[in-house]
Amino acid sequence: MAVFMQSLISGILIGGVYALIGIGLTLIFGVMRVINFAHGDILMVGMYLTYIIFTMLGIDPFVSVLITFPLMFLFGGFLQKVFINRVLNALAQNQILLTIGLGLIMSNTVMLIFTSDYKILTTTYSSSTIQVGGGVSVSTPLLISFLITSAITAALYWFLLKTDTGQAIRATAQDRDAAQLMGINVKRMSIIAFGLGSALAGTAGALISPTYYIFPQVGGVFTLKAFVITVLGGMGSVVGATLGGILIGITESLGAVYISSGWKDVIVFVLFLLVLLFKPSGLMGKSRT
Amino acid sequence: MNKTLLKSLLALIGLAFLLVIPRFVDSPYALHMMILLFLSVMMGQSWNILGGYAGQHSVGHAAYFGVGAYTTMMLMHTKQIAPWIGVWAGMALVIVVALAIGSICFRLRGPYFVLASIAVAEILRLSAINLTTLTNGAEGILATELPAFKIGGTVVTDFLTKVPFYYIGLFLVLLTIVVTYLVQHSKLGYFFQAIREDQDAAHSLGISISLYKNIALVISAVLTSLAGSFYGIYVGFVDPPTVLGLDVSVQIMLICIIGGMGTIWGPVLGSLILVPLSEALRSNMITEALVKVGLVSADSRVGLFLKENLSHAHVLLYGILVVLVILFMPDGLMGFVNKLMRRKREAV
Repeated sequence: MAVFMQSLISGILIGGVYALIGIGLTLIFGVMRVINFAHGDILMVGMYLTYIIFTMLGIDPFVSVLITFPLMFLFGGFLQKVFINRVLNALAQNQILLTIGLGLIMSNTVMLIFTSDYKILTTTYSSSTIQVGGGVSVSTPLLISFLITSAITAALYWFLLKTDTGQAIRATAQDRDAAQLMGINVKRMSIIAFGLGSALAGTAGALISPTYYIFPQVGGVFTLKAFVITVLGGMGSVVGATLGGILIGITESLGAVYISSGWKDVIVFVLFLLVLLFKPSGLMGKSRT
Repeated sequence: MNKTLLKSLLALIGLAFLLVIPRFVDSPYALHMMILLFLSVMMGQSWNILGGYAGQHSVGHAAYFGVGAYTTMMLMHTKQIAPWIGVWAGMALVIVVALAIGSICFRLRGPYFVLASIAVAEILRLSAINLTTLTNGAEGILATELPAFKIGGTVVTDFLTKVPFYYIGLFLVLLTIVVTYLVQHSKLGYFFQAIREDQDAAHSLGISISLYKNIALVISAVLTSLAGSFYGIYVGFVDPPTVLGLDVSVQIMLICIIGGMGTIWGPVLGSLILVPLSEALRSNMITEALVKVGLVSADSRVGLFLKENLSHAHVLLYGILVVLVILFMPDGLMGFVNKLMRRKREAV
């Protein structure tokens, strides 16, 4: 039972970070109907940014989120304005290829600068744990990152539900043309949405950097995970992505313990295919398109 | 002279030229480049049937490439079965895999299809890593000793030089081009294109969508598996990332996107651009050229940096090419050339 609780809790904690990644992807998809295949690579850029800030300025990765978030927001806005904006009305495969191309450019540029060596960001608390009782312990960096994730997610919900800009973003996601007719600057909303999506991915990168290897190709895994999460939750649904992220975190964690760590990703993909087959609209989604 | 006659004459001259190359060129490097080119055309052309003609943009073609390569190599390595027999096993297995994938993925459209195709390829890659007893896991399979190819006791070739590989590659390229040509000019090809242009309209005209999508997939998968087997035999080594990785799927797609989808010469053109470019980067030719021209001195910091790193940069180049092609010529080079020609004709 202790083992079960242990893996369940760490699954939920890591799931929080996954939720952040998924929300970013789903926000971009919702507003622009573009599937961002560079999502994991944006996360990777966030990881390296955190690494640079940590090694050069000595700022703690969790504190540096305050720098990473706005920087990644600008980066995402730039990507949207210069590249993605030009293919908004293009064929789906062209949009996908463009983002794949951007992802390749990011990961390989980082590889040219930092080589493909694995980097490790060691903080004083990287391997420390907190006893919760009942033989269950929680990794400190995971717990902190979960708390930060929850705060960011709550702030994001507030932003989307209560502010004018947030409502404009949701309106654009619901119906781009109608939103434009209502006087919403959809181009600006797209830039904000892509910026936010990138900022969330970059922040997720920053949050996992104390516990994860940092290398240029790390993005691929997360891109795929982000898809699984968003499809599971329903493409375009922020609540769905939150739930999906936590669900995937738990599945992975339990799968690693009860089946094997080598097969845990296979389980996630099989789950993904099953969702695509039997409930393609996802947990929270409404329609297939 | 009429146009088709001229075209076939040109094709024949080109073919004759390709057939005699190994007679006059004995540099193994030049032959190696040609073989890489053949392999690339094969991969691109096979994807083209499903992606270009039937409009189903699979980003999981590494699945078929890898299954072909792995089956042939596993049979050769563990059971000593000659690769020209193992190839058939690979193709048979790929048909099964393709139909299984088709039955899952073709229920989905657009982005969902793309995601599902990636997921299936990833499942195969992870399985190849985890099924260590069967596939030797992440270490991969090394099998460089090829048995001599005999017909009735006489040794046709013992695969000691690159020449036999050159001819096998050439044969396979011709095969894929002929298959594509036949598909394009048959009723099947029209059905594929109807599905690509408007799935619902095609359906309402009585074309069985799932049947023809699956046919396109099987043709495409079998040809990709052949390319995979050829790759395995030629290189003598397969491991999960090099034959089943997402990079492979992307690379297969790129050949078509850059050249132009849904055309016979698109993948050829794409390969003619991609293969020499990435090879030039990989072998540091570009740095050497820059040094020779005098733009960069060999032992300056920039020169050293380029020498050290540019050889890893061929994937970066892929990325830049894709972005440029999608933004500025979304129909690929063939589409771009056709547009220019049309404009010229209109001007006349």
